[in-house]
Amino acid sequence: MRIKHRWVALLMVLGLIAAACGGGGAEAPEETAATTAPPATTAPPAGGGDGGEEPMDDGMMEIKTDVGVDLEAGVIKIGLLSDLTGPFGPLVSLIVAGQEVFWQNVNDTGGINGLKVELEVRDTQYVVDNHVQFYEELKDEVVAFGHSTGSPHTVAIVPQLEEDGILAIPLTWYSGWTDADLGENLLHHGAPYCIEAQNMIEYLMKQAQANGVENPKLAIASLPGDYGLDSAAGAKIAAETLGLEVVYDGSGTIIPTDESTLTANADAIVASGADIVWITATPGSFAPIYGQAIAEGFQALWGGAGPTFNPAFVAPDSAIKDAIARDWYQSSYYANWFDDNPGSTEARELFAKYRPDAPAQDFYIEGFIEGMMMKAALEKAYENGDMTQAGVLAAAKSLEQVDFNGMAPPERFTGTPNEQLQRYIYISRPDPEGLAAGTSTGLQMIEELYIADIVKDYVFEEACYKLGG
Amino acid sequence: MRGRPLLFTSYEADQALMPTTTKKVALTVFLIALVLVPVYDVIPLAPDFLSKDDWLKVLTNVMIFAIGALGLNILTGLAGQVSLGHAFFMGLGAYTAAALGAPEGPLVGLGLPIWIWLPAAAVVPALVGVLVGPTAVRVRGLYLAIVTLGLVFIGEYVFRNAESWTGGSQSGRTFPRFQFRLWKEEEPLIDFSRKGTWFGIELSNEAKTYILLLGLVIVATLIAKNLQRTRVGRAFQAIRDRDIAAEVMGVDEVRYKLLAFGISSAFAGVSGALLASFVGRTIPERWDLLLSVQFIAIILIGGAGTVTGTLMGSLFVIALPRVVQDFTGWLSDKIAAGEGIVAKVGDFFIATSGDDFGIVNTLPGTGPGLSVFQLNLVLYGLLIIVFLIFEPLGLYGIWLRVRNYWKGWPFTY
Repeated sequence: MRIKHRWVALLMVLGLIAAACGGGGAEAPEETAATTAPPATTAPPAGGGDGGEEPMDDGMMEIKTDVGVDLEAGVIKIGLLSDLTGPFGPLVSLIVAGQEVFWQNVNDTGGINGLKVELEVRDTQYVVDNHVQFYEELKDEVVAFGHSTGSPHTVAIVPQLEEDGILAIPLTWYSGWTDADLGENLLHHGAPYCIEAQNMIEYLMKQAQANGVENPKLAIASLPGDYGLDSAAGAKIAAETLGLEVVYDGSGTIIPTDESTLTANADAIVASGADIVWITATPGSFAPIYGQAIAEGFQALWGGAGPTFNPAFVAPDSAIKDAIARDWYQSSYYANWFDDNPGSTEARELFAKYRPDAPAQDFYIEGFIEGMMMKAALEKAYENGDMTQAGVLAAAKSLEQVDFNGMAPPERFTGTPNEQLQRYIYISRPDPEGLAAGTSTGLQMIEELYIADIVKDYVFEEACYKLGG
Repeated sequence: MRGRPLLFTSYEADQALMPTTTKKVALTVFLIALVLVPVYDVIPLAPDFLSKDDWLKVLTNVMIFAIGALGLNILTGLAGQVSLGHAFFMGLGAYTAAALGAPEGPLVGLGLPIWIWLPAAAVVPALVGVLVGPTAVRVRGLYLAIVTLGLVFIGEYVFRNAESWTGGSQSGRTFPRFQFRLWKEEEPLIDFSRKGTWFGIELSNEAKTYILLLGLVIVATLIAKNLQRTRVGRAFQAIRDRDIAAEVMGVDEVRYKLLAFGISSAFAGVSGALLASFVGRTIPERWDLLLSVQFIAIILIGGAGTVTGTLMGSLFVIALPRVVQDFTGWLSDKIAAGEGIVAKVGDFFIATSGDDFGIVNTLPGTGPGLSVFQLNLVLYGLLIIVFLIFEPLGLYGIWLRVRNYWKGWPFTY
């Protein structure tokens, strides 16, 4: 290629890349959550870092530390294994933002007994290899993991976590984390998908019966993997316990990258004539299925695991906004952003203080919940005088109960798995008017701390869905 | 002849892998340096950070990808057959290894030792590659790329649905560990997956795995390098240059194209099995088009057709994200310390606060410019394009230029 042409080509390529980068220097932080640039790693602190430290000897109680806690510099490092640019990027970025604001507030109000918490964020892009790689990198830098995104990813590092004796908070609601074998180094939180499904199926059944349908028929569809199949397993358990007929079982058949599975599911759901549809998918794969079904005149009560719904569905310009406001019942593991419980209120105030331009999103609360659990563990470890990795793990596992200021039901970490199992969920309905007016995030809570009768009686022995061996 | 290193007086000398003394010495020193990496922290003047577990894992990853890339180099660089199907053969190798080597349990696994599952991970994909070959023999160039692309998608579908083999979509399965047993004993003879002591030196499992992979990649490189000077290698090159002319001269096109696919799939299979066992657990979606593209990037950036280029390319592409991350971290440290010209120049490029200008930001939150992770993604694409435009011979081409410059210095002109 002639020299001149090559330089022109290079310039065009650079232009393309600059266009792709989108929100660059001059712009203010992005408005919509979906295009928010993901957060980056924090700059390493100027002092100390990751070596073994001698116990402080200035009149304070002696605190043992090994990795991730630098008493002299007053820094505690927490690692976050997040998916920032992968399939769950937009969602996890919000959770990371929630954690950042939470810890910023903690640091500004005295820290953990004077120690400030710093986050080391790594983008795994939802690839297991990267997850394992970053775990290896961070295991000698941080005292614990503030969250670990993805079930197969977390399962991949469980053997190492156990060998290295480090604590991690899984960022998934798989029922296996409550199982003592798998969850030894993990802090489960939120009703698992399986329990969420059981709660919701009973609730939807009661709604259907109130609408005059005596024996509602159930259709189930889901993604494969822990998320979809754990939720579908819960729906099936509920159907069996309640005596509901399952007229379509499409668990594990929704493949987001394969459109034929979406149309096939929509057709099957419509043909089955179900009264209740339990669908666990990503928003991007749920929307076409729902759209096609209602276009064919299908009407039923629809519900699914929390992450299936996206507030954009009830945005003013959404084609399905009225239908979904009529049909959809949303479950979630924590309260809404605009709820008036003390935790949500404080979270809103903190965001107004530190990130006034950030749009309202329910997912920030998950970041706060993770932060609160880690804070409880760190404070307990400090009290015990042992802030080594093993010390923080032991402290976390000895916490009887962690409260979330009304944002979520308390979590128990002592006792049998059956006693620790989280059984409460929050139920909301889509709220297009509220979203348009800015008074809600697109969801209006109707049931707080809901527990179904069948869930009250449910005995937890092991995960509803076993992740492949 | 002394003083005339490039004068070869016999066929063997001409064809030798290491023809000159300089090359022999350089290679020996380099190999010793590689073997000693895990103990760099006790050797003065050596870069300590390389002997840390996380860098050892990066280097081991580089070597696993290098083995796969050597296979693709044989197919694309040597035999001239474009292939986007590398990920499929890697997945095939990984699941063969799992089916043979993983302990018995809910998923298919026979618990056989590594000296069975690793070679099998080479043989099975090779056979499948030869099966696929006849389709590929009929087409060339862009059409061949599309045929092999189809393989990746067939693979994705098959892996997703063969749940008892792969663990199912999004769930995945565990893969056999790097442990050498004679036959299904309780305790392995050599265990690379736990820390231990070799020759009196305490080594972590990452260090032991690094040594294992070093051995394997040396073997793979020898095979790949040697292939170039054999009859088969010459046939491949003839096909690459002009396959019709080669056919006319008596090179059996079909046979050698099938052989090329078979050999490259064998390398890919081994690489896939090693990658899956190295990570420990992976999902069927891992073996996707992006993985194939990564290998294409490696051989293009490194220099298609050359073994050294392939190795350099693997190091470059796989270690790049980590290097960028560490470099921005180091640079922002320097800016924070505020000293010297490095800090001033760096400050221009890096945004350290919400109001600062920068192309890259290192903030704990959204800020101006790109985050380090976005920068990595951008660099990856940019580098492929830049190399294709400006240096078609890749890193190897750059190395050649540098070497030739210094060979003739100060009379380089």
